[in-house]
Amino acid sequence: MSIAASVGVAVGIMVGLILCVIWFKFANNNKKVKTDYDERQEMIRNRGYKYAFYTVLFYEALLMILAIGRIELPMSSYAVHFLGIILGCIVLCEYCVWKDAYWGLNNNRKRYIIIFAFTAALNVIPIAGGIAGGTLIEDGKIGMPMLNIMVLVMLAVVCITMVIKQIRDKSAVSEEEED
Amino acid sequence: MKNLRLKSARAAKDLSQDDLAKICGVSRQTISAVEKGDYNPTINLCIAICKALDRTLDELFWE
Repeated sequence: MSIAASVGVAVGIMVGLILCVIWFKFANNNKKVKTDYDERQEMIRNRGYKYAFYTVLFYEALLMILAIGRIELPMSSYAVHFLGIILGCIVLCEYCVWKDAYWGLNNNRKRYIIIFAFTAALNVIPIAGGIAGGTLIEDGKIGMPMLNIMVLVMLAVVCITMVIKQIRDKSAVSEEEED
Repeated sequence: MKNLRLKSARAAKDLSQDDLAKICGVSRQTISAVEKGDYNPTINLCIAICKALDRTLDELFWE
């Protein structure tokens, strides 16, 4: 990747962070950027962060072993490292969703779903551009749009888990009420 | 171990898990976990629950 592309990505990340602050203010019921969690959720999330850390640790160790063995992956190095970040995020999100610690007390779920849809749409644009411009594969390796594909996969995995969890919770709540 | 005393005290007040959760400032799932015995609440949450249900700590949480 050229220096210009690196600067572009860095600026993109900064713009993304600013957008996140604006979005969270819009999505939280009390207009706070920070999401509030109760004590049980905080405990679960801390454990989730621990598991995510171990996942990234294991992944990076695996990459190190592959690098020592001079085994090349069919992805650019930045995509390989981004995959580690995505894996860590998936572990954290999945654990929190299953343990009812994903949604905070001040989150407006409908607004968050709008943000998810918007994020998904934003990530589809570079993929479509890559397909149209023929830049999806660079030097025999999957190029920049691979990052967007990873984000989309993560969003899909988290959303599917949320739907499954909601269906399970509905039946569990009705059973509790019967007791 | 299930906390049936908490569940009956809540029912006596005609409160749902969601209502009690809102009063105590926690999620519904947390109240459910306390009732099912899946989560040991901190003393702060125990006090908040007791205040919401007009009960003492002994009545709801002492074995």
